[in-house]
Amino acid sequence: MGSFDLKIISKYFDLPEAKDVDYYVQHGGYAAARKAVRMDPATILGEVKASNLRGRGGAGFPTGIKWGFVPQGSQTVYLVVNADESEPGTFKDRHILFWNPHMLIEGMIIAARSLGVRNAYVYMRGEMLREYPVLQKALDQAYDKGFLGERCFGSDMALDITIYRGAGAYICGEETALLSSLEGGRGWPRLKPPFPAVKGLWGQPTIVNNVETIANLPWILENGGQAFADLGVGRSGGLRIVSVCGHVNKPGVYELPLTVTGRELIEDVCGGIRGGRKVKGVIPGGVSMPLLTADELDVPFEFDALQNDERIREVEVQPGVKFDLGGGRTLRTMAGSGGVVVMDDQTDMVSACWRILHFFADESCGQCTPCREGTGWLTKVVKRIDRGHGRPGDVELAASIADGIAGNTICALGDAAAWPTLAFLTKFRDEFEAKIRSSTFVAQQRAAAEQGAP
Amino acid sequence: MTAKQLSPEIEARIQQLWPRFPPQNAAKALCIPVLYLAQQQFGMVDDEVVDLVAKRLDLPAAHVRGTATFYTMFNKKAVGRFHLQICTNIGCQITGAYGVFDRCKKRLAVDNHGTTEDGNVTLSEVECLAACGFGPVAQIAERGKPDIPLYFENLDLERIDQILDALAEGRVPTELGS
Repeated sequence: MGSFDLKIISKYFDLPEAKDVDYYVQHGGYAAARKAVRMDPATILGEVKASNLRGRGGAGFPTGIKWGFVPQGSQTVYLVVNADESEPGTFKDRHILFWNPHMLIEGMIIAARSLGVRNAYVYMRGEMLREYPVLQKALDQAYDKGFLGERCFGSDMALDITIYRGAGAYICGEETALLSSLEGGRGWPRLKPPFPAVKGLWGQPTIVNNVETIANLPWILENGGQAFADLGVGRSGGLRIVSVCGHVNKPGVYELPLTVTGRELIEDVCGGIRGGRKVKGVIPGGVSMPLLTADELDVPFEFDALQNDERIREVEVQPGVKFDLGGGRTLRTMAGSGGVVVMDDQTDMVSACWRILHFFADESCGQCTPCREGTGWLTKVVKRIDRGHGRPGDVELAASIADGIAGNTICALGDAAAWPTLAFLTKFRDEFEAKIRSSTFVAQQRAAAEQGAP
Repeated sequence: MTAKQLSPEIEARIQQLWPRFPPQNAAKALCIPVLYLAQQQFGMVDDEVVDLVAKRLDLPAAHVRGTATFYTMFNKKAVGRFHLQICTNIGCQITGAYGVFDRCKKRLAVDNHGTTEDGNVTLSEVECLAACGFGPVAQIAERGKPDIPLYFENLDLERIDQILDALAEGRVPTELGS
């Protein structure tokens, strides 16, 4: 893979001048949008479908199919870009927003044309203090040039794009919670169906797409959907942007072919593990996703492979009992948000598991009891194991709580807490049990038993 | 004591944003942006500020309060002149965030969400700031000032000491940000 040098979105990374509209236009920018505003919307949809572009926010749902769910003849359709990136380990969208704001805007114009959108929003994380002014400036420039507004590129298409800033809530990255927040209230997820494409923002059909997803559209329109599909593998088109953090020599944001394996990513792209240590665990796509062990890294970091490749162990509820994802499907892992967290052989897996759970307990919106209570219980149990107060049976207790949350909530946050927990317990069970064996609780029990013994 | 009033800048921003939403939904949609601006003006979103926003947007105070308390970026009580926010989530945890956070607690003599006795610094442990590649990471806010568009990355004990020194001198060490 060393010879790979195509860059779609990342070509403007670390190039400050690309934030300026003139530079972007001089290098071919906005050509696809200029063409799109006069194109038949159905033709654009056809290209997107042919591209095999899959949502880059986490779920990997085919973008063209999602767009196709908007009912024919809808009067008002909204486009909302999900820039609420907050899945721990993930920092790719922030990077795109900071370095390549015009490509996002251009992609939004293309999507808006295809979907018949008059008003589009970018829902941006409140904490993105550095990225907000960058995107706002790029929008102002696009308006000044006449690319946005009443007559985009002089055509009869009108489009307004408004940035809506969040205020600190992980759950707002979930698309229905995001819409609740954009409407001006608590970020509470809603039951699906109805899906947002049918009934979304203010009850109207709404397409919610991730930043990276939208930023791929200019390339697709310029080069054709088929060319994008050809870059990918199987049912996944294009390249993928991953962010790598943790114990690697060169953490950062990289645009890579979907065929790249976890091991290639760590060794070839990120220069290996710091301090010459060995890898112990890798989270492939944000902390919601089950982690991989050092032996499971030869699988391509691609949507379908991570879900189905038999080299990845299935997640268990207890030894020998596989976790049921519903309909008898088992869980290996998923590509998720592209946020890769690399942990070296010095990492305390119990402690890492606790910190992830602490996060989910903190961010549960509180609507569904299994998640609101369950994430708190899980955190409590795993914390006491971590701090040396674990009790015999705590591993089984944690697994049963996680299993009780999964699949029983309105949105995926409950699953997002349960899946990684079960993966930690499946793959690093011995570390949890070792901590329990040496806990103060066990020592006290032993002392009491010895005192009581004749 | 004169009652609090939303600044003319907030009023102007409301006028600017209003047409971007359907007329019947605009007031509610503006709830979060106006709360945010009000916090910048008053330093926090307490009951009085909630009532002010509710009145201006003609929304039930209960809705505005429910919204304000849902989001972590709204401070329900006063914070120090500087608000130092340190991420301890996974990417930062495994690169040493708790060592950095403990150093802050010790030097400032506060617990999480505590404010120093002189009111200079509030310390908060925050969740992932989407800057995981170069953890541990912090953001800093200064009361009454616009957002500081910087991340303070690759924190270690030496760098956090430099940041704490600067805050004690009454300034944000922008030279350490990126």
